Amino acid sequence: MTGATNGHLREITRRTALGALGAGIIGATVASWPRLSGTDIPGRGDNSLSIAIMGTAADAAARQRAIDAFTRLHPEIRVKVQAIQAVDWKDFFTKILTMVAAGTPPDVVYVATEGAQLFAEKLAHPLDEYVRRDAADMREFFDDVHPSLVEAFMYKGSLYQLPMDWNAANMYYNTTAFAQAGLERPADDWTHMDFRNSLAAMRKARTSDFTPYYWTNRLFGGVVPWLYANDTSFLKETRSAGGEWLWDGFYANDPSRSLRSGGYQWLEPNANDDRVFESFDYLRGLVKDGLGVRPEEGGGSSLVGLFASNRIGTTPAGGYWVQGLHEAGMGANDFDVQFFPRWKTQRHQFGTAGYAIMKTAKDKDAAWEWIKFSSSREAMELIFPNPITTPARRSMVNEQLYAGKGPAHWKVFYDTLDRFPTTGPIPAPPQQAAVETALMKNVSLAVSGDERQLKQALASMQRDLELALRRQS
Amino acid sequence: MSTTTPHRERPKRAAGPAAPGVAPARNATKLGAKSRHSQRWLAWIFLAPTILGMGLFTLIPIVASVVLAFFRWDIISAPTFVGFDNFSEVVQDPTVRVSFLNTIMFVVVAVSLQLGLALALAIMVQEKMPAWLRVFFRSAFFFPLILSAASVSIFMRYLFNEQFGVVNWFLSLVGIPAVPWLTTPGGSAAVVILVYVWQNFGFSFLLFIGGLASIPVETYEAAAIDGATGWRKHLHVTLPLLSPTTLVASVMAIISALQVFDQPYVLTRGGPGDSTRTAVMVIFESAFQRLEFGQASAIGVLLTLIIMAITAAQFRLSKRFVFYQ
Repeated sequence: MTGATNGHLREITRRTALGALGAGIIGATVASWPRLSGTDIPGRGDNSLSIAIMGTAADAAARQRAIDAFTRLHPEIRVKVQAIQAVDWKDFFTKILTMVAAGTPPDVVYVATEGAQLFAEKLAHPLDEYVRRDAADMREFFDDVHPSLVEAFMYKGSLYQLPMDWNAANMYYNTTAFAQAGLERPADDWTHMDFRNSLAAMRKARTSDFTPYYWTNRLFGGVVPWLYANDTSFLKETRSAGGEWLWDGFYANDPSRSLRSGGYQWLEPNANDDRVFESFDYLRGLVKDGLGVRPEEGGGSSLVGLFASNRIGTTPAGGYWVQGLHEAGMGANDFDVQFFPRWKTQRHQFGTAGYAIMKTAKDKDAAWEWIKFSSSREAMELIFPNPITTPARRSMVNEQLYAGKGPAHWKVFYDTLDRFPTTGPIPAPPQQAAVETALMKNVSLAVSGDERQLKQALASMQRDLELALRRQS
Repeated sequence: MSTTTPHRERPKRAAGPAAPGVAPARNATKLGAKSRHSQRWLAWIFLAPTILGMGLFTLIPIVASVVLAFFRWDIISAPTFVGFDNFSEVVQDPTVRVSFLNTIMFVVVAVSLQLGLALALAIMVQEKMPAWLRVFFRSAFFFPLILSAASVSIFMRYLFNEQFGVVNWFLSLVGIPAVPWLTTPGGSAAVVILVYVWQNFGFSFLLFIGGLASIPVETYEAAAIDGATGWRKHLHVTLPLLSPTTLVASVMAIISALQVFDQPYVLTRGGPGDSTRTAVMVIFESAFQRLEFGQASAIGVLLTLIIMAITAAQFRLSKRFVFYQ
């Protein structure tokens, strides 16, 4: 073989020929490969049902008993739980999206309210056909779960998740701090001014190294419960039509049936509402008078320790806090919980979570079997043996769950839904990440300065929210 | 290590003494050519992992990022070509503009502090310390750099907490009321800069230590004879002779500071407001929280252009201010 170079014939060596052949083989292999993705890595592309949850390897291991029970029931379905560590739900969703981009999406994802509409809009498969098909099996579940929790997972008339656990923003209080200030347990319908008076009394009793009201700057438990109590929100809340198939099929006799819809919608900003200003101004007053902290963004990691060491008087939290306080050394009577204070209403904020089937799931029927099994009383008792959250099933929120750990008034948790049926989910449209950023970045400024700074912060929030809602999620 | 290793001699072209006649010389040339050929292959084999790594993890992502800047892509749907729309949206976005301004302000303050502190400590350690203490301080100042920035920031977050932080507790001992470090624009910017400088000055410090060691003692002796002592010695001898090191240290510090992310993200999440939001944070938020990979790439391209322009300007200016011995 020969080749021409600069007018001369050059000999092609055997080595060159072999090299060219090798390069050709590699090139042809790469070119003929449809698309290299994470599943091409050996060991990743098996047929097991992969389930992503937020948590650590220990959290995954804690589900092993439930997996074993499921495997006994469905030996043909292999289950693999992937625990993904994350700072918060936003961080968790980011990691799931990265897995989608890498070509290794899980089949089932445990999604909280914060991401419910993002998944419903883009990633998840509706459960309607399965719920209808297995209506006889599912009736017992819906009988045991409050419709408010189910409605949080309705999107444009379809159901995308079954609620497994939930938490409302109730008000925890330190009984020692209350006693030191001469305070008794507040009434169920205490008002925001009663709350302020309680904080002032605690401040008077303990002037240093103590914060009467500790709150964090995030979607759950931040400014939103105050907005809800004042019958407003930072986004305009509407409902979409549809969902009758579910409500008429499972909740026809529920007293709150008329309130139910095809799902929540948050399409416009509402930060320029007078009541939003009023709520922020109230919180600004708490900060100014030393009754509450300036909230840090992403704060809250040290909250349990501070509360357990009697350095915090009150803070908004849900049933998920009980086990943490117990492990931090608090006795059953060292703390208690009450409904969030009343303002114009006593509407509470809640967040819930459940499994969603990904559109890309290899075997959606198998995924549904896992969800159906997980919603059973047997599975939920295996998954939630301790009060690390509030189980969605009313029958599981009982004396036995809180025995020896408190709080004394644990009934407040589920009663929140029954007493205040308009209690609503965390406002989280499909553009949740951008909306959350727009809210959080303006909260600290709004409550830290004078009235002029508050007005500027709310105007900035309105602009940022407009931009966020205009964005494609 | 490479600077201390002597240059290897190139292999001789012909092996053995030249013998009369043509044949031996031709053989020798053939042998030399063969040896050079095999050495070239060996060099490519050794370089291959680095070239492959650079190509896969640096070059291809850079090209892909530039291409992506002209598309709208949310990972889930197929990308659509949008021309320069991403760039125009990014330029009009007030948050992006503020984040770039914040980044530039951060670079000016943090790099000045970082280089100033590193130089002052390097001179102090090099001049005033006994050898064993010098070794200790070299390690001590470099130590923060090997820690994870996220861990350090979480730790600092506790220290600077307004209600329960140790910093405010110490201040309270001397009668200073609690400072809202992380919840006011000024306080949070100060903490981010402080933590960043504390963690990064050790690298510049080591560079300056190396630079100072390479300045000949005779130069100082000559300056002393001319009457230059104390700070005048450093002004007229140390600083000019250290200028090549200063150039390298400043280029590296500026490039690193322009990409600051971990400290503001963990400490303040960019707040309050946008007061500590940086360019790389906006890239992260656009891409991984809002799924606007095209816009994130456009911001990345703009940031790269800014870094290149600043670096080019530094090298241009260096012709006037850098003195080589």
